[in-house]
Amino acid sequence: MTRDEIKDLILEIIKDIDEDADFNTLQSDLPLRDQLDLDSMDFLDIVMELRKRHKLQIPEEDYPQLASLSSCVNYLEPLLKNI
Amino acid sequence: MHTSLLIIGGGLSGLAAAIRLARFNPDVLILEKHSRVGGLNSWYYRHNSLFETGLHAITNFAPPEDKNAPLNRLFRQLKLRRKDFDFHEQLASEICFTNQETLRFSNDFDLLLHEISSKFPGCTSQFIRLVETIKEHDPFQTTPFRSARSYLTGTLNNPLLVDMLLCPLMYYGSSVENDMDFNQFVIMFRAIFLEGMFRPHGSIKDFLDRLLNHYQNFGGKIRMQAQVAKIIHQGNKVQGVELTDGEVIECDALLSTIGLEETFACLDTPPLRKTQGVRLGFVESIFRLPADCRESLPTDKTIIFYNSREQLLYQRPQSLVDLASGVICFPANFQSLAPQPHFEIRTTHLANYSSWKSLAGDKTAYNTAKSTIARQSKTTVEKIIGNFTQHVVYEDTFTPLTIERFTAKKEGAIYGCPDKIKDGIIGYDNLFLAGTDQGFLGIVGSMLSGVSIVNQHILSRL
Ligand SMILES: Cc1cc2nc3c(=O)[nH]c(=O)nc-3n(C[C@H](O)[C@H](O)[C@H](O)COP(=O)(O)OP(=O)(O)OC[C@H]3O[C@@H](n4cnc5c(N)ncnc54)[C@H](O)[C@@H]3O)c2cc1C
Repeated sequence: MTRDEIKDLILEIIKDIDEDADFNTLQSDLPLRDQLDLDSMDFLDIVMELRKRHKLQIPEEDYPQLASLSSCVNYLEPLLKNI
Repeated sequence: MHTSLLIIGGGLSGLAAAIRLARFNPDVLILEKHSRVGGLNSWYYRHNSLFETGLHAITNFAPPEDKNAPLNRLFRQLKLRRKDFDFHEQLASEICFTNQETLRFSNDFDLLLHEISSKFPGCTSQFIRLVETIKEHDPFQTTPFRSARSYLTGTLNNPLLVDMLLCPLMYYGSSVENDMDFNQFVIMFRAIFLEGMFRPHGSIKDFLDRLLNHYQNFGGKIRMQAQVAKIIHQGNKVQGVELTDGEVIECDALLSTIGLEETFACLDTPPLRKTQGVRLGFVESIFRLPADCRESLPTDKTIIFYNSREQLLYQRPQSLVDLASGVICFPANFQSLAPQPHFEIRTTHLANYSSWKSLAGDKTAYNTAKSTIARQSKTTVEKIIGNFTQHVVYEDTFTPLTIERFTAKKEGAIYGCPDKIKDGIIGYDNLFLAGTDQGFLGIVGSMLSGVSIVNQHILSRL
């Protein structure tokens, strides 16, 4: 997957969790949590969706790497390179 | 037969846990001993009409746009669209201590605030500070029992106000006599006073049907009339369960929602610890009346929590029931409900399981006691809401024995054992506890319990 595809994947997963999520003003380097009003339970859903869709096992200690959109892309890029 | 995830109990905690799991792995099976779902909050038919077994009001009301409210978080976790649900908010409720004081409250917290400042002027600033503490406190930490009553007595310094605030919160969510854990107090205060109460559109059956359909759409399975007799395990590892008819179902992980001791009774090792303290029993009566006598009874009150003693006693009574306090609910008094040909009054009082149990062998004595108690309940609440006995067209009463028979809850104790297993861990690698004895009580509470135990212990194993 390209970086753009990964970004779309994350946004699609978030949209699926919260259909009202507003991406218009989303800044890639700032925490998703604050900008989109996501809580830790919603974060767990992002992890679970990645597992369901792409068989990715993300260990709990890596969750902080998913904090912002750009850190998500950085973290997932090597993991999704063959997809 | 083998399934990855097995859930014992199709009550609200089991259903919520099952939906949460099936969302990510459809290989989930619920085993429910009864012929329908819902457990304590189910329904039955009499005279061609539907009666709800346990719904007064659902707590934790939140409008759809309040994303971080517990109700909306719960819906997101279950992948239910909150906007698809039509909820009816309460009108207003009342804490009524006869010959002492009355406090009204609604889903607008300002009403309670205003009532307290006009009726307990000396306590207003302390009350406002208490509310700040409640808003800031994290009630989900697993800390040892801390008495809410002592805390309130210390901060409010007014025994009547303490009793009045505790009354609805204990009736709707305390498994402990005359008190509650401070964390549980915070949860219930937010759920009832800060968030508020509502009922779903239609009946609890419609709500349960939607949950069940949603679960089945994810591919989850359920078997009714399937009672677990034994949990098969080797040491701390559970392999599966055996049903009362001898069938064995293997599983990778097991979630029990039937209570701590009830679960231990299915295992052949000695329990982790014995539960202590008194289990609280209740009697609940339903009185159905024709619509034309609605006007002679309160139409602006949804629930009345009453007490007629100087001090509130929330404890197991010496006799069959304690009529000196209780709950009166008008299920027809919620906002924008369509008119119906009939309406109901429901009453709840504390009851003594052993006294009812001693009548169990004698059907006539048991039935006589039931109708006597229902009659006394009517005359007691008539003093608060006005006369209605002569108009009752149908009535039914559930005792702790009824609840024990239909849900297998030990001693028919709606709120289970007094001490709770907050983390859901009961000494097994792949068996966890959710629901009543995990500690989140009520409809929203039990659903959150199912979801949070799945999140903490089971999702990572998928
Ligand atoms: C009269 C009454 C009024 C209430 N009013 C309200 C209210 O207004 N608002 C509110 O929020 N809450 C109310 N409650 C409380 C609320 O209903 C409960 O807190 C909640 O439903 C508990 O859900 P649960 O899943 O933990 O337990 P349960 O509902 O008890 O679910 C456990 C399930 O397991 C099944 N089971 C037991 N043993 C076995 C076995 N061996 N094998 C297979 N299945 C088994 C049972 O049949 C049951 O379906 C009321 C309860 C009652 C009884």
